[in-house]
Amino acid sequence: MTRGEQTLDLLDAHIGVFNIRNLRRVDWGVVSLVLALVVLGLLTLNSASRGGSAASDDAVRYDVRQAMAFLMGVGIVMCLVCVDYRFLVSLAPIAYAASVLLLVLVLLFGAEVNNCKRWLDIGGLRLQPSELAKPALVYMLAWYMSTVGERLKRAPWFLLALVIAGTPMLLIQQQPSLGTAVSLAPVPIAMLFAAGCKKRHLAALLVLGVAAAPVVWHTQLSEYQKDRLRGFADRNAKPVASAWQTTQAKITVGSGGMTGKGFRKGIQTQLSYVPEHHTDFVFAVLAEEGGFVASACVVGLFAMLFLRGLALGAACPDMSGTLLAVGCVTVLAFHAFVNVAITIGMLPVTGLPLPFFSYGRSFYLAAMVCVGAILSVHVRKGLFDE
Amino acid sequence: MLTIPQKKRYEGFDRRMYFLGVGVLGAFSLLVGQLWRLQVVQGDEYALQAKKYRLHVCPLTSPRGIIYGNDPGVVLADNRPAYDLVVVPHDCGDAEGVCRQLAELVQLDLEGVLAAIQKNRRQPFKQIVVKRDVSKSEMARVEEFSYILPGVSAVVRPQRRYPYNKTAGQVLGYVGREEYGLNLIGRAGLEKTYDAQLRGTDGQLCVNVYASEMWPELRTDAYGRFDLSMDSYGHRLDVESRIEPVQGESLFLTLDIGLQAECERLLTEQLSEEQGGAIAVLDADTGAVLALASAPGYDPNVFVTRGEDMNLMRKQLLEDPNKRLQMINRAYQVPYPPGSVFKILLAIAALEEGVITESSAYSCGGWFTLNPRAKWRCWTWKRGGHGTVQLVDALAYSCDVFFYHVGLSLGVDRIHEWSTRLGLGVVTGVDLHDEKPGLIPSREWKEQWGRKNHPDKPWEWRWYDGETVNMSIGQGRTGVTPLQNAVLMAAVVNGGRRVRPYLNKAIGPAVSKPLMSERTLRIVQEGMRKCVEKDTYPTGTGIRARVPGMVVLGKTGTAQRVARRHYDHYKSEEDIPVKLRDHALFIAGVLDREPKIAVSVVVEHGLHGSNTAAPLAKDVIEYFYTHRAEMVKIAKTGEGL
Repeated sequence: MTRGEQTLDLLDAHIGVFNIRNLRRVDWGVVSLVLALVVLGLLTLNSASRGGSAASDDAVRYDVRQAMAFLMGVGIVMCLVCVDYRFLVSLAPIAYAASVLLLVLVLLFGAEVNNCKRWLDIGGLRLQPSELAKPALVYMLAWYMSTVGERLKRAPWFLLALVIAGTPMLLIQQQPSLGTAVSLAPVPIAMLFAAGCKKRHLAALLVLGVAAAPVVWHTQLSEYQKDRLRGFADRNAKPVASAWQTTQAKITVGSGGMTGKGFRKGIQTQLSYVPEHHTDFVFAVLAEEGGFVASACVVGLFAMLFLRGLALGAACPDMSGTLLAVGCVTVLAFHAFVNVAITIGMLPVTGLPLPFFSYGRSFYLAAMVCVGAILSVHVRKGLFDE
Repeated sequence: MLTIPQKKRYEGFDRRMYFLGVGVLGAFSLLVGQLWRLQVVQGDEYALQAKKYRLHVCPLTSPRGIIYGNDPGVVLADNRPAYDLVVVPHDCGDAEGVCRQLAELVQLDLEGVLAAIQKNRRQPFKQIVVKRDVSKSEMARVEEFSYILPGVSAVVRPQRRYPYNKTAGQVLGYVGREEYGLNLIGRAGLEKTYDAQLRGTDGQLCVNVYASEMWPELRTDAYGRFDLSMDSYGHRLDVESRIEPVQGESLFLTLDIGLQAECERLLTEQLSEEQGGAIAVLDADTGAVLALASAPGYDPNVFVTRGEDMNLMRKQLLEDPNKRLQMINRAYQVPYPPGSVFKILLAIAALEEGVITESSAYSCGGWFTLNPRAKWRCWTWKRGGHGTVQLVDALAYSCDVFFYHVGLSLGVDRIHEWSTRLGLGVVTGVDLHDEKPGLIPSREWKEQWGRKNHPDKPWEWRWYDGETVNMSIGQGRTGVTPLQNAVLMAAVVNGGRRVRPYLNKAIGPAVSKPLMSERTLRIVQEGMRKCVEKDTYPTGTGIRARVPGMVVLGKTGTAQRVARRHYDHYKSEEDIPVKLRDHALFIAGVLDREPKIAVSVVVEHGLHGSNTAAPLAKDVIEYFYTHRAEMVKIAKTGEGL
C-alpha cells in the first residue's frame, strides 16, 4: 500500500459517521472464529431440533429459526462496523435509558411464563429486554468511563458506575431472573478494572458482594432457587429437579466419550434425558454427539475468540474503544464459561444461554451486537496516530 | 495529515489487559480439564449409567402350548384369537364423543373408559381397551359405523380356550395372571404342572425410552403382531435389541376324552347335589391315566373368559366354601377310608407273609370278639354271619370277621409296610400338583399324632390291637385316594406290578418288578372274580359290575362316614340323611382284554359299594371297550367320523 492510498483510506475513514469501506478492514480472525462457532451452533441445533416423535411432524425447526436470527445479526454487525463506534458510544445514554425503560415496561406488561415476566411483545416481535440490556450497559459504561477519565479513581465516580450497572440488574432481578441479573455483574467489574480504578475500591466491592450474599439469600431468593443451590452444594440434600438435570447432563456429556456418538446420534439428548437441550443445555448435545474432541474444540474456539477480542481492544488507542471491547468480551465470556460449567456440573443450575449455540433470538442478537462492537473498535484504530 | 487526538491511557494498562487475558485462559482451561475428566477418564462409566437410565425391556409374550388328548386330533386346550376393541385417543379427535357413540353400539363401561383416557392423557397413542373379547356381532356393528368412530379399532390376542368345557376341567386346570406381573401362568391342574413347558420362552424387546415418563407400552396391530413403529407416547420406538418369543411346547396326554366325558356323565347322573364322586381309570399295564373324573367339576373357561356371568362364577368358585369344593379333583386330592377294598391289600400281605394259606379258614358268626368289652360285627350280623369261610369266599362275600383275624395276625407294622409298597397311603407320583398322600396308620404315626394332640395322655400314644382290627377292613384313620385304589387294582390285573400313573405321554410309564408271587395273585384274582360272578350261590357283593362275556374282577367297599350309633336308629337306609350315609367304593379290573384297565369308583354317601359304585364301574368298562373298538375301526378305515 502506497502512502497515497493510505492517506486516501484515512480520508475515507473519517469522512462521515457512516463508511461502508470499513467492511474491508474487519479483523478476519474474529470473523472466522465467530463463523466457525455459528456453524457449529447451527449444526448442534439441527440435531437438537430433530423431534423424537414419529407421529407428529411439527417438530420445531430451531436451527432454521436460529439461522434467521443469524442473518439479522449479520445485518446488525455490518451496521455497527460501518458506523463510527464513537458516535454510538456518544448515543449510549439514550440506548441505556431506553433499555431501562423496556425493563420497567416488561415488569408492567410482560408476558408471564412460569411466574416470570421476561418477554415483551412489540408488534408481533417477541423481545427479551434483559438480553438487550447487556450490550446497552456495555456501551453506557464505556461512555461513562471514557468521559469521567481519571476521576474514576475517586470513590463517588466509582460508585456512580456501580449505580449505572446496578439499576438494570435490580430491575431484572424483579422479573425474577437471578441468572440474567448476575450475568451483568462481571461487566462493570471487568470494565472498571480495565479502566484503571483504584484496586482497593474493587477489593471493597468484592468484600461487600460476599458480605451481601446472606442478605440476598434471605431476601431475594425464592425457595426453588435455594433448593437448587442446596442440591448443588450437598449431594445428599433432598432431590430436586435441578439435581436430576445436573446428573443427566453429566451422564450425557460423559457418555459422549472421546469421539462422541456421531452427528444426530446423541441418544441421551434425542430421548430428552437432558432438559432444555436446545437452550440452556445445548452444549450437552454437542458434547454427546461430538465427544471430547468437539467439546474441547468449541471451548478452545471460544477462548481464542475472547483472547483475540481482548487483543483488539488493547490495540485500540482510544479508551472508549478499549472499554467497549473489554465489556463485550466479558459479556460473551461470562455466558460461555458459566453455561458450559453448569452443563458439566461445575456450577449450580441457572438459566444462562451459550453464545451462538443456545436457541433464543434476543440473546443471539445481543451476542452479535457484541461481536459487531469488537469489530467496529478494530476497524477504526487507524484513525489515531501512533 | 489528519490527526485525531488520542485519549490518554492510564498507567498499567497493558498489565491489566494481560491479566484479563490470563483470566480468560485459566477459566476455559478449567472447562477443558473437567471435560477431559468426564468424557475421557470416566466416559465408559457414564456410558454405562446412561444405558441404565435409558433401556427398558418390554416382554414379547409367547403363545401357550396346546394340550392334546390321547385320540388323534383331540384338542383339550388351545388358543383362539380374541378381539379387543381399543381406542387411540389421539386418532379420535374428540375421544369422549367417540366413546359415547361407541357405548350406544356395544355395551361397555363408559365411565371406566373415560377415566382410563383421562389417566393416560400423556400417552395419546396408547391403545386403551374399551371392551375385551368382543363378539362377532358387536364387531360387525362397530365396523358398520366405523366412519363415525375414528381411532377405534380391534386388536387381536391369543386367548386360552378349553373346547371340552367342563370335561376334564379339573385335570387340565386353568391359567391366570401372575400376582406381580402380566404373564399368564398355570394356576391348577396340568396347566400348573407343565407350566414351564406350556409357557414357552417370552421374547424381549429392549428399547430406548424417553426420560422421566412412565414406561412406554407396546401396541399391537389387527393381526396381533407388535407394532414397532410407535409406542404409546407416539415416539418412534428405538429398538436396541430384540429376542423373539418361542411358543410353548405342546402336551400330549394319555387321557381318553371320550371315556373321561362318559365317567363324568355317569357320576353326574348318579349323584344328587349333596354328593360328590370320582372315577379313576388306568391302563393297568402302563399306569397311563385314561380318565380322572371328579364330580362336581368346573369349567376352566370361567377363569380365562371375560363377561359378567363368568366373573360371578369365578368369584363363587374362589370364595364360596361350597362351590370351592368343585375345584378339588376328588380322584387324587381327597382320601377316603377304603373300606372293604382294603381287604385285597390284606389278602396279598397275609399270603405273601405266610400268615394264611388259601385253605386257611375262620368262622364268622356275625361277631368278632377281641376281649369281652370290645366286639366288632360283620356286615352280615343280622343274618348270623358267613359261617366258616376261606380266603376266596371272604373276598367274594367281603367277610369282615375273616379279615379281623388276618389283620391281627399280620399286625399293624406289616399292614403298613405292604400298603406303602403297593402305593396306598403314599403319593402315587401322578404328574399333577397337590396330590394328597392319604394315610395308612403306623405305630410311629400314632405316637406322633398322640404326642401332638394329647401331650398329657401317654396312653394315647401307643397302638392298640383294636385299632388294627378297625384298620383291617379299611376303617378308622385310614385314608386312600381313588387313584391309589386304581393303582392297587392295576397291580392285581397286571401281574403284581405297581404302576406310577401318568398323564403326559412324554414321561412314559414307570412300572415296578412283580411285588408278589403268581400264586398269591391267582388266589386274589379268584376271590375278586367270584365277587362279580353270577353263577355262584350266594352271589358276590360285586355282581352289579358283571359284564357278560368278559372276565371282570371287582371288590366293593363301604366307608363308614360317622359312627353307627348316629344313624342306627333310622328304620330304613333311605331315612338316613345324605350327609351321614357311608361312602360307596368299588374297584374293578378286566383280565381278558387288551389293554387291561383298572377302574376305581367312589360315590360319596352312596351307602353301599355293591349297588351304587359297582354299576358305574360296569358302565365304564363297557363303554371303554366298545368305544375303543370303534375308535380303532375309525382309525383303520377312516369312516364314521
